[in-house]
Amino acid sequence: MNTKIATKSDLDRVRGEARKARTAKPVEITVCSGTGCLAAKSGGLAAEFDRVVALHDLQHRVEVRRTGCFGFCERGPVVVIHPHNVCYLQVKEADVEEIIARTIVEGETVTRLLYVDDKGRSIRALEDIPFYAKQSRVLLDANTKIDPTSLDDYIAQGGYGALARVLTSMKPEEVVDLVKKSGLRGRGGGGFPTGRKWESTRNAAEKEKYVVVNADEGDPGAYMDRSLLEGNPHSILEGLIIGGYAIGAHQGYIYVRQEYPLAVTNAQLAIDSAREAGLLGKNILGTGFDFDVKVHRGAGAFVSGESTALMRAIEGFVGAPRPKYVHTSEFGLWNKPTTLNNVETWANVPLLVNLGLDQYRAVGTQGSKGTKIFSLVGKVCNTGLVEVPMGMTLREIVYDIGGGIPKGKQLKAVQTGGPSGGFLPASKLDLPVDFDALTEAGSMMGSGGLIVMDEDTCIVDTTRYYVNFLAHESCGQCVPCREGLRQLSKILDNIVAGHGKAGDIEMMEDLCELLEGASLCALGQTAPNPVRSALAHFRAEFDAHILEHRCPSLVCKSLHHYAIDKDRCPGCMLCVSACPTEAISGVRKKPVVLDQAKCIKCGNCMDVCPPKVNAVLKLPGSPKPATQQPVVTT
Amino acid sequence: MVSFVQNLGSSADVVVIDDEASIREGCRQALESEGYRALLADNGIDGLEMVKQVRPRVVLLDLRMPGISGVEVLDRLPGIDPRIIPIVITGYGSVDTAVNSMRRGAFDFISKPFDVDALLNTVGRAMKRYEETVEPQPLAPKAPARPATEPDAILKGLEAVGEFYQAGTQGSLSETLCALESEATYHARKLGRIHEKKKAVGELIEDVHLVDRVVERHDFRKNALIQIMLDLQSEKRWLPRHMLMWLSRRLNIPVARIYEVAHFYEAFSLEPQGAHTVQVCLGTACHVRRGPQLADSISSVLGVKPGGTDDKLQFTLKQVHCLGCCALAPVIKVDETYYGNPSLDDLKAIFASCEKKEQER
Repeated sequence: MNTKIATKSDLDRVRGEARKARTAKPVEITVCSGTGCLAAKSGGLAAEFDRVVALHDLQHRVEVRRTGCFGFCERGPVVVIHPHNVCYLQVKEADVEEIIARTIVEGETVTRLLYVDDKGRSIRALEDIPFYAKQSRVLLDANTKIDPTSLDDYIAQGGYGALARVLTSMKPEEVVDLVKKSGLRGRGGGGFPTGRKWESTRNAAEKEKYVVVNADEGDPGAYMDRSLLEGNPHSILEGLIIGGYAIGAHQGYIYVRQEYPLAVTNAQLAIDSAREAGLLGKNILGTGFDFDVKVHRGAGAFVSGESTALMRAIEGFVGAPRPKYVHTSEFGLWNKPTTLNNVETWANVPLLVNLGLDQYRAVGTQGSKGTKIFSLVGKVCNTGLVEVPMGMTLREIVYDIGGGIPKGKQLKAVQTGGPSGGFLPASKLDLPVDFDALTEAGSMMGSGGLIVMDEDTCIVDTTRYYVNFLAHESCGQCVPCREGLRQLSKILDNIVAGHGKAGDIEMMEDLCELLEGASLCALGQTAPNPVRSALAHFRAEFDAHILEHRCPSLVCKSLHHYAIDKDRCPGCMLCVSACPTEAISGVRKKPVVLDQAKCIKCGNCMDVCPPKVNAVLKLPGSPKPATQQPVVTT
Repeated sequence: MVSFVQNLGSSADVVVIDDEASIREGCRQALESEGYRALLADNGIDGLEMVKQVRPRVVLLDLRMPGISGVEVLDRLPGIDPRIIPIVITGYGSVDTAVNSMRRGAFDFISKPFDVDALLNTVGRAMKRYEETVEPQPLAPKAPARPATEPDAILKGLEAVGEFYQAGTQGSLSETLCALESEATYHARKLGRIHEKKKAVGELIEDVHLVDRVVERHDFRKNALIQIMLDLQSEKRWLPRHMLMWLSRRLNIPVARIYEVAHFYEAFSLEPQGAHTVQVCLGTACHVRRGPQLADSISSVLGVKPGGTDDKLQFTLKQVHCLGCCALAPVIKVDETYYGNPSLDDLKAIFASCEKKEQER
């Protein structure tokens, strides 16, 4: 960007130029460069496209664009070619030559890289793939079209139009009113009405105010905020500036965890380029409104994502929460009125301004408006980020979009809301997903993690996982949370180790009551959710662990063991080389022998044993000494 | 007025503006007893003029005076020099007036009649505040244009210890240098691989300069503590004790608070890290896709417990909450590369290539 955008007409002019520049080359290859695809080596892939395009002397005709996350991480790296509108999945560097030669030069399709549906049909266009067909991607759409490091790309998509409209034609009160009427609720977990938050900050007496983006996404297994901030940082920035104007703040912060290096970089780049263009700083778009933004990196603590804790962390202190009755909308960052919203909430703001009240409210349920991004992970065929209208059922999300459970297994539970959420059993699959329905069912929306578990998942073990996570992340300043979680975790450790005893469940229920009633912040207050929902829906699994010392899913290490079926083992030695502890030994063409004392139950042997042989057995209980056999030598 | 003219051209730490002569004189005696240089003015106009001339660090200001009021003086002070710390003297003992003046930028207030200790205590704190906002300047190795601070002196001493070892001089070290030397010994022991104290001292000096560079990048701001520590962590890969102690001196933050931050957040390591970091994701998606079993395998292949580092400082094994690429679950990250569901052979190949790279280096 070399021109300053000092007025609204400057913005329109720049938008015209940017659009023209984008259409200058007739062909566009978009390569997903979100973290999921980068992990699947899309960085080298994009470089290879650059190289081959140059090799064939096509630079003047073909643009290679590195975009944000496409969401279909299961099949990454994703490549979409326009105007052919063809989507290639799991593309490797070796495929590049063929794609350029066949698709770009000859206009043909490389069929083997297309999506094949369950009926064996190849699907060309991205939007026709079942994973995408049922989604309504209003927030994530731009991710697939723009280079997140380019301000021009964002402006070409209509970016900063909402800001211009707000600054030139709306009073701050009108903006607050619009957000209030929209029914937008905080996407970070609690679902507090955003407009009310804004209003109370706006009405606070203190002159100096702040706005904060919470991108401290700590939920394990959730990466919605990361993908938005990485893939479309300007949309969050635009929302934040609008919020600053509405609330009366002149300084904003983006708090992003340092474990997301790409998000940190892209957020900082967006701020720098917006400032250089004049969209941040003094007198934005000639309207006299001043606003600037700083990035603050979080150093990795789940509890620091809590609003009061996050503000403490920005002040340079340990990010521990404080009592909530002192509202951050009046005494927040540096004791000044502060509005803190989640990444996705801020991204909704420009969308709301652009769509207008009626169109925005048309999507969603009575109490929850708009769309919600979920990170659909775990035992599901199509892992990825999905954006759906509020009110869609879990069944539609898991089966129609997610493609169901791999290997034809049965769904056991869906877990939403991260460590503070709850398990929903298969019987609740027809639950419409919105803030209120999930809370009523004993879980919560959370920031949008949606973890699918199949019959091979042990609910007791997973409950222990969540409780251990929370116990580890408790900041420790209030006793009920620190000690309550520690005791819960001890009990669950014992149960999983086969030392459960009668009365454990009652004790856990008591501890849950203590945690809920006496903890200082939401981390402790919501900690009972996983335990209670697990007990409510999967009591039988707990009983099996406690009373029979048996893990029905054969997951808990102390309650199962591996054995070799010597009648089936042909002595191929695959498992011998796959064992990390050399617990398996033997000679070729003779059944191998497993030394139980050395076995760490990693299951590698079972994975490598060919399915038609199937000689590794997973058995409940402890191994009987008699099953050990001496090595037979010839 | 007379005293003002007499004192023109001289410098002062504190300017006292009060219309009561006994208060002015009392302040002067108390301040001079502590070695501060004080100048006195009996009204706001003269006082402001004096402040313009001598640029004191602290202004003691009576609120009720003939002529322009203390509040007005208070408002004008930042225009002269924003670094000046105003302390208000209030005769009413009224909390409202005091609070009002604090809102207008006063650092603190003392109510008349006041005792000498309270006055000196408040002035002492104000001086400290002034130093925090103004003082610790970047350490310019070539042209130190500002007066040397305590950390500078220590750094000089440290460099002297380095030279001492470099030259192999015989003789005794002064007490301060002995302390530094023992810090170097501690560091050498901690690292294990640095057997020579000469090297340890060398590394100490390098680390201290690194802290200075990073602190300067963040303009010596105290509230940037976490950001500074993150930068140090990413450059040094761990936070040795001497770096944190140095940071404490530079930012004037107690070491205990720095350690509090270092212990609270996952990102900081207080132990030396291996040349390669192996991160095993144990997010929920990885957990249900057999992440824990993978973690066990890796632990036994490397012979390192989670959170630990091998003796040769080759590999550090970390279990992390979520790497955010759940489609590859269970996933590990070795340095900057991700691997989805690696087999035992994959793992062995990955670790072997790391070791090979290390040998080549």
